[in-house]
Amino acid sequence: MALSNANNGATNVAARLQKELMDIMTNPTPGITAFPSSENLTIWTATIEGPSGTPYEALVFKLSFEFPATYPYSPPNVLFKTPIYHPNVDFSGRICLDILKDKWSAVYNIGTVLLSLQSLLGEPNNSSPLNGEAAELWDNDMLEYKRKVAARHKTPEELDAA
Amino acid sequence: MDHATLVFASVFPVPSLSHTTPTPVATPDLGHTAPGTSFGSPFVGNSGGELHHAARRNVAWSTATRFLGLPKDVNHTGLRMRKTRDIDEALSYLLVGTGKNAESARTEEGLVGWYTNEVRLHFAKYVRPSLQELWAKEIPLSATWDTLEETQRILDRAQSFYRQPFDEHIMPFLHQDASNITIRASMDEDTIDTGIVDGAKSRFQLDMHAAFSHSLPSNRFSKTLGHVLYDAGCRLFRFHIRLDGVQHIYAPESADEVRDRIAALLVDLQRVGLGGDMAQRAFGHSMNKLVDTFIGSHYLKVDWFAKECVVPEMRNWVENGFRPLAELVLDCLQCESTKVESTQLKEWQEMAMSRLGRARVANLFDFIIHWDRSLGAILDLKEYLKLEGAKEFLKTSFSRQVSMRLLHQGATTTYILNVYISIIRAFHTLEPKGVLLQSVARPIRKYLKDREDTARIIIASLLIDVDDENERNLPSNGELCYEIASEMAKPFAHTDTTDDEFNWNDLNWQPLPHDASPEYKKSKVEDVIYFLLTLWDRDSFINELKNILGAHLLRCQDPEFQKEIRLLELIKIRLGEEKLQACEVMLRDVLESRRINDAIRSAAETSAQREQMLQTPRTPRSKSLRSRRQSSVPISSQPPPGPALNAQILSSFFWPVLRDDDFHVPAEISALQKDYESRFERIKGMRKLHWMNALGESRITLELEDRTEEFEHLAPWQVSVIHAFQPQSDEQTTTAPISRTIDQLEEMLEMDDALVKQAVAFWVGKSVLRETSNSTFIVVENLSSTDNPVDSDAAAVAKELAEVQAAQTSTVKSQADLLDEKKDVYMSFIVGMLTNQGNMGVGRILMMMRMMVQGGFPFAEEEVKVLLAQLEESEKVVSLGGDIWSIKK
Repeated sequence: MALSNANNGATNVAARLQKELMDIMTNPTPGITAFPSSENLTIWTATIEGPSGTPYEALVFKLSFEFPATYPYSPPNVLFKTPIYHPNVDFSGRICLDILKDKWSAVYNIGTVLLSLQSLLGEPNNSSPLNGEAAELWDNDMLEYKRKVAARHKTPEELDAA
Repeated sequence: MDHATLVFASVFPVPSLSHTTPTPVATPDLGHTAPGTSFGSPFVGNSGGELHHAARRNVAWSTATRFLGLPKDVNHTGLRMRKTRDIDEALSYLLVGTGKNAESARTEEGLVGWYTNEVRLHFAKYVRPSLQELWAKEIPLSATWDTLEETQRILDRAQSFYRQPFDEHIMPFLHQDASNITIRASMDEDTIDTGIVDGAKSRFQLDMHAAFSHSLPSNRFSKTLGHVLYDAGCRLFRFHIRLDGVQHIYAPESADEVRDRIAALLVDLQRVGLGGDMAQRAFGHSMNKLVDTFIGSHYLKVDWFAKECVVPEMRNWVENGFRPLAELVLDCLQCESTKVESTQLKEWQEMAMSRLGRARVANLFDFIIHWDRSLGAILDLKEYLKLEGAKEFLKTSFSRQVSMRLLHQGATTTYILNVYISIIRAFHTLEPKGVLLQSVARPIRKYLKDREDTARIIIASLLIDVDDENERNLPSNGELCYEIASEMAKPFAHTDTTDDEFNWNDLNWQPLPHDASPEYKKSKVEDVIYFLLTLWDRDSFINELKNILGAHLLRCQDPEFQKEIRLLELIKIRLGEEKLQACEVMLRDVLESRRINDAIRSAAETSAQREQMLQTPRTPRSKSLRSRRQSSVPISSQPPPGPALNAQILSSFFWPVLRDDDFHVPAEISALQKDYESRFERIKGMRKLHWMNALGESRITLELEDRTEEFEHLAPWQVSVIHAFQPQSDEQTTTAPISRTIDQLEEMLEMDDALVKQAVAFWVGKSVLRETSNSTFIVVENLSSTDNPVDSDAAAVAKELAEVQAAQTSTVKSQADLLDEKKDVYMSFIVGMLTNQGNMGVGRILMMMRMMVQGGFPFAEEEVKVLLAQLEESEKVVSLGGDIWSIKK
């Protein structure tokens, strides 16, 4: 019966994250997983599979989540760890997605963020691209776009080896 | 210069004549010629007076020294040179007359000095070798007395040998000389006289003793003497366990003998100059050891029988045993103060106390284990704690003992609890204010908190009845702590609510010890149970309490639930009423159930149901457990009496998760259940019942061809299975016994395969069923006809199996059930972990599971491996060899 009775913010975040983890594990969504690191419960790694029917089909992407002490009232900091060629993601993996910025709300959680990101892969927001070239190719040259996606992508094993 | 001298000197050039050799005036030499006189023989020149004087002195010197010279043999007792007048004169001249004056003024070596030197040389040459021989080899402990006594004898002989000439021939002249001075100074004769003479004498003695003591290896001598003193002490006080390991089979010697012997030895040693600092040091060491020996002796053994404190005895010994001995020795060694002051005595007593205390502290853990036979030791320690620094020592030492001997994986939780209870009791005696207890118990409490089964054991123990300790229904698996149970059985003294600190009439009031923290507040309730209940914070403890109380209430035989009510009241006092609502509801449920049962039964009686008493639980939202009596009569001429049903109605919201296997109960029972249900709904309005068949308890009578057997405390599934061997309504009644296979039973009863097998094994064990072929069973109608050894063997095996299985089946969900239930979640944890965090070993996975799974992961590596193996089967993960697992690509 190990008990914790500390009541600071960090504990609340930890409790919330533990609950989210439990939810994800109890009702897993196909193609999406996430798990905290063993050292720090507020740093997670997530894996999403590219949706079928998109240039990202059959590709696997790793992301990192970093939860602030004010989570869920502030959004987590989410980055693509796997290099990705996408209009709304820059080369360091930063993501331009409204719900991770000003549209964040405490009702979102890891699962919904991951689902949003998965759908962003198939439906980029080309009106405000971080990667202008990608936005252009998406609209005009899907073949070249796919080639660039494939060229940029690395599997998790390649990432580990690097 | 008298004639005789002159003649003598001219013929015998004695060495002392060389003293007359002229030397410069400034040199204080033995003799000289006056300035201005020529060097030459004593017979030359005009300084006749001087020369005469010097020559005369030389002659006297020669005569005296030859006379005083010592013979080789110390034991020589024969006549020395006869003392002639010449000698007398010479001595007188040198010691009293002018010769003496000249000498003392100008020479380093007077006659006394010469004699001292002579003694030294003689001693070195003739006596010392024998001493060295004596001391050259190592002295065995048993020979210490003899060696010392022999040494003393040798020295004593030498001393008297040396002293005799001094006393006889030198002393009288010294006296004479002294009295001359006295007269001249016209002072108090005696004082001066003796003062001067004694001065000379004691100087001589001192020099001699110095020679003696330097001839001995001083370290070894004082060790030997120390041992002798120690030995004497041990014999005097009859200590049998000694620090030096010597095992004396004491001849019944009287203490007086020993005392006289040691006193004599000491006096003698003192006389030959071997007392003094060296001996005093040796004495100090030996007394030190003696105290230690006494502490370890049988006199101060822990009093296991009378359970009394031995401290008074110790003080008494220090005062009346140790002190007289010390005084005796001091006296023999002629120390300045031979009286031991009372302050010093106190110091000694304290010193002994602190040693005794340390000795007790070293074994404190054992005393705790053997509480309360060790009460005596604890009382000793209580005395010890009054000393400065004792508390700290006790705390650190005991903490070390506890962490080494108690708080490790090898100790069962029950054991730790038992020891903890002993600690509580012992320390309560040691320091009633509880400050000490608080600090020593902290690590234990912390450790107990981390053990998973602590709460379960405590609560389960609270609920058992010590009175039926010997009865079969107590699991003997070490899961219960009888200490707690017996503590619980004690009458609960209602603590008065007045604050002790404000009870002005309390004449036994004591201030808190100085090491209490300012906030320290002694808990008002101080019995053992209080300490156990406060191990956790309330919520988690109450959760655990709910689980255990739930299981217990369902099993409980006492229709009044007296113990349970009492327990709950006790806990309410300690933990506060508001938190225990769920438990109260549970208790009320079972009590209420009885009432409802009565009501329903009396209503049912009118419908001519025969009643039997048994019980069942269930809840408004619905759960129930029932038991019934049933006659299962495969072939019987009499109509079976109708079964009866009692229910327990549980409010499911408040109860812990209970076992809820689904299966069919015999038709008679389900009819009863329906009937009960409808009556219940009539009483309780809208509430629905949900029957929990797995939890019931039943009593049945089986009427077989050759016997009738009654069974009690049966689980419902057992009854269902045996009932299934009765011809069912849609079956033809045949004369042949009905046989059923496991599969058939499973299908008929819609019962879990494991339960069916368990029930069948139970009945086979009771020789009611028999396996005819693989997985097919028939009823044993006739015990005698089937009386073959194979059967009884099979029955015995099955019985054993059934017992083991029964032990594993409990009303609360078992570990395996839990694992099975949550398998999917756990598996997705493992998959998620391996997907996102890379490859991992089993140990790491287990650690992560324990950390991450909400509600905890109460399993070990074994279970993780099982999960991994299943995942591997479904091709989700692969083993990378060793313990490392990876996600399947």
